[in-house]
Parts: sequence; structure tokens; C-alpha cells
Amino acid sequence: MSAVLELRGVGKTFAGVPALRDIHLAVGTSELVALIGPSGSGKSTLLRCCNRLAEPDAGDVVFEGEPVPAGGAELASVRRRMGMVFQAFNLYPHLNALENAALAPRRAAGLSHGEAETAAREALERVGLGDRTSAMPDGLSGGQQQRVAIARALALRPRILLLDEPTSALDPELVGSVLRVIRSLKEDGVAMLIATHEIAFAREAADRIAFLADGEILECGPPAEILDRPRTERLQSFLSRL
Amino acid sequence: MSEFFQTFLNPGVMAESSGLLLRGLWVTVQACLIVIPGGLFFGAGLALAQTLAPAWGARSLSWGVDLIRAFPPLVLLVLIVHGLPFLRIEPPPLLGVGIALTINTSTYYGEILRAGILSIEPTQWEAARSTGLGTAATLRHVILPQGVRNVLPDLAGNTLEAVKLTSLASVVALPDLLRMARVAQGVHFNPSPLILAAVLYLALLWPLVRLIRRMGGRAVLPA
Amino acid sequence: MRIFFDPEVLAAAWPGIRSGIGVTLGLALTSIAAGVALGLLLATVRALIRGAPLRPVGGLIAAYADVFRAMPPLVLLVVLYFAAPFAGIELSGFMAAFVALGLVLGASAEEIFWAGITSVNRGQWEAALSTGLSRGEAFRRVVLPQAVRLTIPPLTNRAIATGKNTALASVVAVPEVLNQAASVQAQTASPAPLLLAAGVYVALFLPLVRIGRWLETRFHIR
Repeated sequence: MSAVLELRGVGKTFAGVPALRDIHLAVGTSELVALIGPSGSGKSTLLRCCNRLAEPDAGDVVFEGEPVPAGGAELASVRRRMGMVFQAFNLYPHLNALENAALAPRRAAGLSHGEAETAAREALERVGLGDRTSAMPDGLSGGQQQRVAIARALALRPRILLLDEPTSALDPELVGSVLRVIRSLKEDGVAMLIATHEIAFAREAADRIAFLADGEILECGPPAEILDRPRTERLQSFLSRL
Repeated sequence: MSEFFQTFLNPGVMAESSGLLLRGLWVTVQACLIVIPGGLFFGAGLALAQTLAPAWGARSLSWGVDLIRAFPPLVLLVLIVHGLPFLRIEPPPLLGVGIALTINTSTYYGEILRAGILSIEPTQWEAARSTGLGTAATLRHVILPQGVRNVLPDLAGNTLEAVKLTSLASVVALPDLLRMARVAQGVHFNPSPLILAAVLYLALLWPLVRLIRRMGGRAVLPA
Repeated sequence: MRIFFDPEVLAAAWPGIRSGIGVTLGLALTSIAAGVALGLLLATVRALIRGAPLRPVGGLIAAYADVFRAMPPLVLLVVLYFAAPFAGIELSGFMAAFVALGLVLGASAEEIFWAGITSVNRGQWEAALSTGLSRGEAFRRVVLPQAVRLTIPPLTNRAIATGKNTALASVVAVPEVLNQAASVQAQTASPAPLLLAAGVYVALFLPLVRIGRWLETRFHIR
């Protein structure tokens, strides 16, 4: 299986404090890899290093066989094909759902107004919000907002989705709707790298799970292996506290 | 370049006009010493009146405040300094300027202080009243100390505006810093005194601007 | 009392003051347009500059905002009108007032826009950049529209203050409302023209001051 995205020895420090150390991780076509680990373990930084919202200090990020460029239009083009979903949704509050999803197809991918709207509409339908295209973000529930945010990424037809704790900011009863969308994307073969605290979801939906602690991947493997036969003490104590 | 210095930063001219400028600076300081405490005093009165008055009273006060604000400060100043003598009231020039600018600036101090009072949760009133404090004591010991602290950056910002406002006094012939700089410029036919005066204003006020920034103040003062 | 509302003097003063209204409005609108445009331009430059070689530019813009916040507008106007000619720069009274008011408003507007831009959540930049928008497009389509909402009330208030400060131009012989009133007052030794001018200013600015107050409560930022 060829890797869509591969991190080779990625490291990152914030003000002298190491946040990521020597990360090696690959996500294959149609593969779903879940990142688990305590808060502050570096999951979010790892995802941001993939599309260079955070600048890695060491190592390489390789996307579709090419290193991710440092900046300019080349980086923008890679970012378009690498969708990102944020914990706090980060929807544009001044734009409605359709405009949120159509902005980048129009202004970054250079589609015509009509094509961009079509792409946005299809993406919203795919997350089950085809009937809420003209709703403003503050008129939507948290779960709906996060689904619009997923649609915003999908409208660009990305090769991989990076999801940063997409359900952590949601009320418990809204988590299910977002996870259902993620599952259906997996069935459609979308590659995903997802930081999550939903261990049950990771067990059932992930192809592999990586356990991150203090900026290092301590264990990585199939869910059964990671969750049922943890080898390191850190992972054992992390799982026992859930 | 040296010609530029001879024209705009002429040491001889600046030295000779420094006496005049210092006298002017002292008048500016005196004007500030009237306008800032006066504005704070009447502003506090305005804020308290608006807080304690019944709704219709607060509404008419807000119209009165806005009426004063509709005047450009210079128009208010000229009106008072040149208008009062027709009523046979002839205050000394410094006082006339002080009255006009105090009227103007107290409306801003008043709004700021009122915002400070309104920034305090009603539960603070309830808590104070539950311990038997009266309205005046609650205001004085509970509400104002917290409210003033909340709007300290804005109070400092308006104080900056008040100092800048005193430069208007030069227009009605009060011998303040700007006026004296104009006089010295006329005497020497050289702009160095004006430049020096501008630098003095900056030296006086830039630290205040920095201080306001440090306090997290906004530039955003009402019109 | 009659001397304050002498009909003959008022009639004599009115044509001049009426033409002064045009000058006041013309000076106000041009300085406001220039000041807001300057402030928006500087704040945009400050938001978009990246990388070490350009960093001092941001500091220079901040210093400009500081200096013109500390400088009394009248001092600036007097320097521009009475000192600049010594450098061979001859500005008409109108031009000097336009430049002074524009520079002062530009500094406030820059600060207000900048405050609005920095108050937009960092996540908005991240979201926009993550979809492949350029920094320029992210600023224009995502950050600026949100920032502008926050800037409307304070910017309105600074614009009104600039309109009122056009009265300073009377000092450099611009025939606006106050200047016209003062010259008739000098001829007639009557306060009536000044009162008429005061009435004109109230008619012009009281509605605007009320609108500014309404905007502040409506948008309620703090």
C-alpha cells in the first residue's frame, strides 16, 4: 500500500521545549490512522506539522511522494489536497454554510462561482446538511457546525483529511452525528489521520492506532494490539484511566 | 542637510526662544491643572447623576451630553471666550479657557465613569445592600473603586485628549506653548520654535501614549 | 439679549456661513476618506508582512500611530502651514488641514483596524490557510470582514471627531463655518454670527453623535 502522507523523523520545539521528537508515521490510501494520547502530548502539533501550519524543525513531511513545499503557491496547492478539521470548528462566522464550503474552491482552487457552489453543495449533502446550506454558523448546533467544517474540507476533494479532536468540543449527544460522518467517509475510501479521545471509535474504525506521549510515538499498530495488549507502562496507565 | 538644520533646528533661535516657550509650557500646564481635575470632578457628577436619576432624567442628560459633544471644542471655546463678555462676564483668559475645555472634556470623563459603574455586576449592589450599606456608601466603597479600576485605561486616554485639547487655547490668544511658539517664530522669522514646541508636546505625551498601551487601552474614544 | 440674535447681523452673516458649510463638509469628507484609507492600508501591510527583513516595517507603522496619537492636531496643522514653507513646501490652508486631519485620523484608524484584525481568532487564519487560501486571500475574505465589524463603532466616532476638527482649519484661514462666522463677528462686533455657526455645527453633528452612541450600544464591544 502506497503512503499518501508520510512523516520521516519530524521534530518540533516550542521555545526550547521539545513538542515532537523523531516522529515516523505513514498513512496509506484509504487508511484511517487514529492518534491517541494524553492532552499536551503533541497530537495537535503533529497534525499541524503535516500541512505546515506549524513549521517542523527537523525531518521531512512527504505528501504523495513529494516533500511538502515550504511556502508559496506550491504549499497552498498541497494544503488544498490535505483537508483539515479543527477541534473548535473555526467556521467563518460571517459566511453561511454554503459560502464557508465554497470559499476555497472559488478563491484557492480557482473554480468558477457555479462550480465552487456545486462542489460545496455536494460536500454539504455528503455530511447530511444539504438542507442547511443558507444557515449561518451561529444558527447551527455544534455537531452541525463540525459537519460543515468537514464539508469545507471535502469540497476541495482532498486526498487525506487531518482531524484534530473533531468531537472534543461537542456535547455528548452530538458526538455520534460527527462520528457517523467520519465512518461513512472511511467507507468511501478517504484517507484520514485523526487525533481523538474516543477510544471506542478508534477501536472500531481505525486501521491503526498510534499512541503519542511527550511528543513521541511510543506504540503503533492495529487497534486490538494497541488497546488490548499495551506493551509500555505509559500506554497501560493511559488506558486504565479512561 | 546643514541648511535644513539651520532652518528647522536652529540652535541659536531655539536658545533665544526657550524662555518664551518655557513660559508657554507653564501656561499649558496650568490649563491642564484646571481642565483635568475639573473634567474629572464634573464628569463624576454627571456619571453619578445618570446612574441615580430615573430613566427620563438619564435620557435627558444623555441628550445634553450629546448636545455638548456636537460642538467642535474650538467652537465651544470661541463661543465662551468671545461670547461671555457680551453678557458682561469677563473671566480672566485662563479661566475662560478652563471653563470651555472643562465643559467639553467632562462629558467624556462622565461617559467613561458611567461605563465603569455599569461594568459592575448587580450582585455587588445586592451584596452591599444586604450588609446594610446605603446607596452612597455602596457607591463609594464598593462600586466606584472597582468601576474606576475597570476603566482606568480609558480615563488615561481621555486625559491624553484633554492635554492635547489645551493647545486650542492658543487660538483665543492665551499665551500657551503653541501660542508662544508662534510668537517666537514671528520674532525670528524661523520655524525652529514651532518644531521645538511640537517636540515638547511629543516628549510630554508620548510616554502617556506608551503607558496607555501598556494598560491595554484602546484608541477608541468616543467622538 | 437681542444682541445675540440680531436679525440684521444674522442676515449679513448667513451667506458666508452657508458657503462655509460646503467647505466644512468638503474638508471633512475628504480627510475622513483619506484617513480611513490610510489606516486600512497601514493595518493591512502590518498584518501581511512576514519574515525578518520586513519586521521593522511593522514597528514603523506602530510608531507612526503613537506619534500622531500624541500630537495635538492643531500643533500639526500649525507646523504644516507655518513651518513647511521654510522647506519650500507651500500648502494652501485647505491642503494643510486636509493633510493634518488625514494623518491624525490615519493613525487612529490604523490602530482601530489593527485591534480588530488581532482580535480575530487565530483559528480563522489557520482554517483559511489549511484550505489553501493565500495569506492575502485569507486576510481579504476571512479576517478583514470579521475585523471590520468590530471597527465600525470606534471608527465612526473617530470620523465624527475628524469632522468636528475641521473647525481648526479656521486658524489657517480656510473659509469654513467657524472662520466665516469669526470674520463677520469681527466686522459687526456682535456674537450673533458665532451663535449661528454654533447652531450649524449642532445641526450637522448632533445626529451623527447620536448615531455613534447607538452604534456603540448596538455592537457593544469591550
